Amino acid sequence: MVQTVPTDDQLFDVIAKEALVDRALLNRDAALEDLGIASLDVISVLFEVEEQFGIVVEASDLEDCKTLGQLIDKLKAQAPVSA
Amino acid sequence: MNRIAVTGLGAISALGASIEDNWQAVAAGRGGIARCVMGISPHGPGGLELPMARVADGYEAALDAALGRPVAGGLDPFARFVLAPALEALEQSGLRGHPVLEERTAIVFGHGLGGLATLEAGYERLFGLKSPRMHPSTVPKVMVSAGVSAAAMAFEIRGPVFAVSSACASSAHAIAQGAAMIAMGQVDVAMVGGSEAVSTAGSVRAWEAIRAMSPVTCRPFSADRDGMVLGEGGAVLMLEAWDHAQARGATILGELVGWGMSSDAFHITQPSPEGQARAMRQAARQAGALERDDILVSAHGTGTPLNDAAETRSLVEVFGARARAMPVIATKSAHGHLIGGSAALQAALGLRALAQGLAPPIQNFTTRDPECDLDLVVGAARPITSRLLLQNAFAFGGLNVALMFAAA
Repeated sequence: MVQTVPTDDQLFDVIAKEALVDRALLNRDAALEDLGIASLDVISVLFEVEEQFGIVVEASDLEDCKTLGQLIDKLKAQAPVSA
Repeated sequence: MNRIAVTGLGAISALGASIEDNWQAVAAGRGGIARCVMGISPHGPGGLELPMARVADGYEAALDAALGRPVAGGLDPFARFVLAPALEALEQSGLRGHPVLEERTAIVFGHGLGGLATLEAGYERLFGLKSPRMHPSTVPKVMVSAGVSAAAMAFEIRGPVFAVSSACASSAHAIAQGAAMIAMGQVDVAMVGGSEAVSTAGSVRAWEAIRAMSPVTCRPFSADRDGMVLGEGGAVLMLEAWDHAQARGATILGELVGWGMSSDAFHITQPSPEGQARAMRQAARQAGALERDDILVSAHGTGTPLNDAAETRSLVEVFGARARAMPVIATKSAHGHLIGGSAALQAALGLRALAQGLAPPIQNFTTRDPECDLDLVVGAARPITSRLLLQNAFAFGGLNVALMFAAA
């Protein structure tokens, strides 16, 4: 069984593009609120993450996330597993 | 009624990403129409080769840099095509960051169709890939008001902000609407204009189906004209209450002295000279210009056989024999037909022509047509002494606007 997990950088690239945030500002400690990432931005990120990496996460599963590190760890945990 | 000054201009088209680039191109007789293969998409019927006037890439990065954050990537091209000239016009007016933006400034942009590229990409997923999931930003990118909202957010403009739509006359109606708000004293400043982004797989096929497109190029008023050519882009004018502009020492680029609007109530695609004449007469009457002959006519001039002959008849109906002595320009021959964005771009170029005393030539013209017996500016740019500019905009569905500007 192999789990294909995207890298932090791959996920930051998606977040920068979909949430329209400067890529240089993205790191694991950055707070979502400080970056101005709103709920529609999160939904757009989830859409692309499913498109690109097959990761299916509901926005409601991310409500506790305060930092980018917490967000991408939740995404990585749902990376698909193949035989 | 407040007088209305023009204090800023901005433009983007196949001719360049600034009003200056656009003006230099038309003044030099340089065009932006080229043969393109349009409509390549995974589930489509294959490409369609046709002449178009497309905007070159590269302006998006400049827009993001000027705004200090990534904005362009979140917008459909049609909204980017109005945000870029909005920034240019605002900066030229000297009003960026001015307190008047907080309440006493309006934004009205006109677009015929809205976010086609975004919509078609979504439909390709839905019908082509049979995916049930549309991108979550589809609705906010497609909506016709996406451009005005983007400009309001980018420049923190908090007065009346909305979009108008009347096909090929959209930005002319936007200019008239902004002018009315200033004239009434509702606002001091109005950012007005429009844009269109029609180079999508579905859109070009739909335009082709109307049989109004030239397979070769756009040659307004020429006997061998055979249709319009689509163009991309947009333009924005900053309108300002005359006293407000003078009080802050703004450079005044021209004055909007009349605007007329009418509906043919006749046919969804065929033009009617009578309806066009009513719009022109209203604008000329308001401007006190019915007896003037120092008028530069910036024709709607699409290059279709019907439009240009009808426009000639309506000009003669309003101005009589004097119509045949007024210089006529038709810059769609250079930048193509921007649909909702055309009137604003043509008015901006017409204002530059008035200011420079130079009428740019109608491009691709070959042969005179007895049905278009006007004083057409052809060959090369011509020095003019006109003090007034008549800008015509006539839309499918018989929606007509005429705008009259005076030189500063």
